[in-house]
Amino acid sequence: MANDLAALSGLDRVIHEPARLALVAVLSMVESADFLYLQHETGLTKGNLSSHLAKLEEAGYIEIEKTYRGRVPLTLVRLTSKGAEAYKSYKKEFKKFLERN
Amino acid sequence: MIDTEKIEKRVIRNFYDDGLSEISLGLFLLFLSACFLAQNAVPKGSVWKSILGIAVPLLIVASALLVNRILRSLKRRIAYPRTGYVEFKKKNVSKKRKTAVMASAAVISASLTALMSIAPSSRTVMPALNGLLLAVAFLFFAVKVGAVRFFIQSAASALIGLAVTVSGVDMEQGVCLFFGLIGAMLAVAGTTALISYLRRSPRPESGADDGE
Repeated sequence: MANDLAALSGLDRVIHEPARLALVAVLSMVESADFLYLQHETGLTKGNLSSHLAKLEEAGYIEIEKTYRGRVPLTLVRLTSKGAEAYKSYKKEFKKFLERN
Repeated sequence: MIDTEKIEKRVIRNFYDDGLSEISLGLFLLFLSACFLAQNAVPKGSVWKSILGIAVPLLIVASALLVNRILRSLKRRIAYPRTGYVEFKKKNVSKKRKTAVMASAAVISASLTALMSIAPSSRTVMPALNGLLLAVAFLFFAVKVGAVRFFIQSAASALIGLAVTVSGVDMEQGVCLFFGLIGAMLAVAGTTALISYLRRSPRPESGADDGE
């Protein structure tokens, strides 16, 4: 039990949150995506999505680029190499945890 | 608990949700069929036969390139305003894998050519063999993407190839008919998927992306 808790506490807390995990999983499959796409893929509200993206950006896991397509604002999001590495290692750790239990 | 593998697979599947890829491929195959039909319609030994002999391969290559541009343009106009913009990673296919794919294609082509020269009667089964090859390709794709309609298209490709062979038309006409039917099937399937997609995904009211 103590070992299990230790294994769980070793997981990356930024990625472990379900909404952020879904976001990182989506971003791991693409080069870049806009705000509308991420909202559509994750089913998050605008406010929730903004807040989770801010946390991931703060951790250095994603990059957010604000640009325009014509006159329409476009927010492009991409996973950084640090984010990709963190996601990969989270999946590995979580798989190990599941195998032990 | 979040199933990340499911999410990753869904991202690929959703890209094909709008049916635009099938419509583009379907139109390309219909064009291919029309090219073969034109070649067959011209009498052997005529000037037009020689002109078409040179023009058709060039037209096929040009239209294959054009299809990609048309697909991008359709995505920009129809899909991105509704379900958002996405750019997929450019795949770094390993040299080993590229060689394996090219070698397989060469072996299949050589085997079919050899079969046709050894047993000329086998020419009539070419649509069935083409159907089978296309069915295998669709099956691989269906497993990767996980969308039911691609499994149906895989089975339909094999059935169309078999039906064309059973109909007893000669190889030239059979190939035209085969590509025409596959093209029509993809265009219809894509249009059905597109109609369903447009119903499910209306344009957001504001038009802005709201990324603050």
